Amino acid sequence: MPEKRIGVFICHCGSNIAGVVNVESVGDAVKNLPDVKYVSDYKYVCSKPGQQILRDTIKKHKLDRVVIAACSPRMHEPTFRQAMREAGLNPYMLEIANIREHVSWIHSDQPDDATEKAIDLVRMAIARARLLEPLKESVVDIRRSSMVIGGGIAGISAALDLANAGFKVYLIEKEATIGGKMALWDKTFPTLDCSSCILTPRMAEVGAHPNIELLTLAEVEKVDGFVGNFNVTIRQKPRYVELDRCTSCGECSDICPVDVPCEFDANLCYRKAIYIPFAQAVPSSYLLDMENCLGVDAVRCGKCKNVCDAEAINYDDAEKLIEVEVGTIIVATGFELFDATKKPEYGYGEYPNVLNLGEIERMLSSAGPTHGRIVRPSDTKAAQKIVYVQCVGSRDDLTNKYCSRVCCMTAIKQARMIRDKTGAEIYVFYIDLRSFGKGYEEFYESTAQSGVTFIRGRVGEVIENDDNTLTVRAEDTLLGKPIILDDIDLVVLSTGVVPPATAKDIARVLNLSPSPDGFLLEAHPKLRPVDSFNDGVFVAGMAQGPKDIPDTVAQAKAAASGAMALMGKGKINIEPYYSVVDEDKCAGCQVCISVCPYNAIRLNERELSEVNPALCKGCGTCTSTCPSGAISSQHYTDDQIAAMISEYLSAAEQ
Amino acid sequence: MTSAEEKVPIDIDNVDHEFVALIKKAGGPNIQSCFQCGTCSGSCPAGARTNYLVRGIIRKALLGLKEECISSPELWFCTTCYTCTDRCPQDVQPTEVIKAIRNIAVQSGYMLAPHQKVALNVLKTGHAVPLGGETWEKLRQKVGLETRPPNASSHPDAIEEIVKLAKASGFDKLVAEKEEKKE
Repeated sequence: MPEKRIGVFICHCGSNIAGVVNVESVGDAVKNLPDVKYVSDYKYVCSKPGQQILRDTIKKHKLDRVVIAACSPRMHEPTFRQAMREAGLNPYMLEIANIREHVSWIHSDQPDDATEKAIDLVRMAIARARLLEPLKESVVDIRRSSMVIGGGIAGISAALDLANAGFKVYLIEKEATIGGKMALWDKTFPTLDCSSCILTPRMAEVGAHPNIELLTLAEVEKVDGFVGNFNVTIRQKPRYVELDRCTSCGECSDICPVDVPCEFDANLCYRKAIYIPFAQAVPSSYLLDMENCLGVDAVRCGKCKNVCDAEAINYDDAEKLIEVEVGTIIVATGFELFDATKKPEYGYGEYPNVLNLGEIERMLSSAGPTHGRIVRPSDTKAAQKIVYVQCVGSRDDLTNKYCSRVCCMTAIKQARMIRDKTGAEIYVFYIDLRSFGKGYEEFYESTAQSGVTFIRGRVGEVIENDDNTLTVRAEDTLLGKPIILDDIDLVVLSTGVVPPATAKDIARVLNLSPSPDGFLLEAHPKLRPVDSFNDGVFVAGMAQGPKDIPDTVAQAKAAASGAMALMGKGKINIEPYYSVVDEDKCAGCQVCISVCPYNAIRLNERELSEVNPALCKGCGTCTSTCPSGAISSQHYTDDQIAAMISEYLSAAEQ
Repeated sequence: MTSAEEKVPIDIDNVDHEFVALIKKAGGPNIQSCFQCGTCSGSCPAGARTNYLVRGIIRKALLGLKEECISSPELWFCTTCYTCTDRCPQDVQPTEVIKAIRNIAVQSGYMLAPHQKVALNVLKTGHAVPLGGETWEKLRQKVGLETRPPNASSHPDAIEEIVKLAKASGFDKLVAEKEEKKE
């Protein structure tokens, strides 16, 4: 075997490492180890001169492998690999000892022990470097099509950006229309733009776009494949009305004898069993709610089919499974409102005049159940005295710890609109008012000027009186005095946002990780805010965490641009950290296939296991499971890891 | 009305910086999670009718205003109904904080006279609420019971043991010192 030539570079990282670890001692401790031909330390190995030194030294000393003791490989591994490439060395002949995050930053008060630990880590890195092998990156093609899951403002924005850039988009929406929560909202803060006036043109654009294929009543069932080559199975529920025939004339709905609480109007009024969610729905077509339909034959009912001149109603419609192939996926699955029945002291669901923010939005809408009037549900009389309770289901150890970020501004907006419209007395009880966005603070101030009263204190309890009015108890914490408000017509709970019930399924299907709060986790909170840990899958809008419409649209555009960057390039390099099967040892027992979390292994024509490098994430589960030791994980072989352990323990013995 | 009174500003250099740590140790470990929302005082049945303000006491405690906290008679108005602890969004457990401050208050010699009386009752009779003499004895006879129930009141030796325990734990001193201070 030819001689091995290892170069060791120890980085000071300014004082980040050198301020704690004695880098000279580290160098002295390893310079006489076998195969080590060169040791040096430098202020910033990652800097341009640092990289030059690395390249020059590799050439001058004919190094064939490199150990760098510096920060986490998550930071500068690509930098160092590129330098090695330029010096003519295989980039996988690099081993990094993390002596910053794993040593100097966490042991800053024990410099001697830190230095000792750094020496151990560098010795172990050298031990592994001896066994490194040159590896080759494979290249895969990326399909020029994208799937967007969720048709709210996030999904709509992302889909339109992608489609306008020339990419094919499949937009998947589980409801009968796109529009999401924004379609339910009456106005937007702080400009008081009519929500549907700015949303519905975008919805119509989606409906008409030649590059967008819209699938409503649809959910993602299964996703196979990998970045650039996802195979998606979509389950679409029957609509019982043919999209291309329905003229949305409404004759069917007019004749339908069934009344059902209308979900779109927060169940504050009724719809028919055959209905359109709202006038501007996209696709602009009715749908039949078969669960509430009396029956589809002439004996039981069947009236709608008789009056439909377009012959659009199809009682035999059935569930469909649709398969599509896409290169990238954007998850924009949105949110749900917090269920306020979980805070029994506020009486939601028990007292008719306690409502949530979503219900008030529908009341405020001139197209809504009360045609824009704000009334007491108990007797539909106009509400004259209204209390807003902030932070219901947010900033609360008992429900959700996080701040929902939108309820302060939504409450201020609603209070302002009601105040301006009716002159009602309005009291907003808050812990902290968070009006952080552009123009938000000014809007808060002008709302206070309009006569809305803000009281600092979280409401203790809401009590219902015999006449259905409410009594609210709290403390005005700025005065340190109890406050009891009687004869309240309406208590509005500023319900926070929670991940939708389906978030868990989406996470499972796409191999995404949820954060502890249940929203989907981004790859890096600052630098990769819309990437997921699954390459080629992006997350945008409320699906990632609470945010307002401007932030949601910004993320949607960011996710679309991330997807475009991948698809525009057309090809992607796959890191060679995948498992390989030694066919001479494989018995074809298929245990590896059953344990692989990524479905990356299958039997080949010789009835032996074969790993698909693009699917394999190099987790090593198969390697450790294989009873005949036929599988090894490239770049993390058993020998390499054993060598590191032996090196560490051998020093302990001395 | 108050305009003529002089307002004394908080002297932040002369507060007890150990007070919060003491409360955390004495039974209110989450006091520093408090964000002063007022759910406790807005829910408190005692605070609805008196000057007792849970949030206010916690605020003072967080600033280290120990003397104000432990000397205030309102500290003893809490009925330990635990409504605030049920509703607190920050898991501060205000009832536990109040109990912790009460313990510190008693250690420092602050105690309400009725509480002290009850404590002395325990020392004297073995019971916080002892049976009240003849009326009770007659009542018991009427329904065919012994004049004294089979508890400490009919076992003077048990009372002696209670006193022994009180001495060993320092309970007697806590109460007695207070007695001298009062009278």
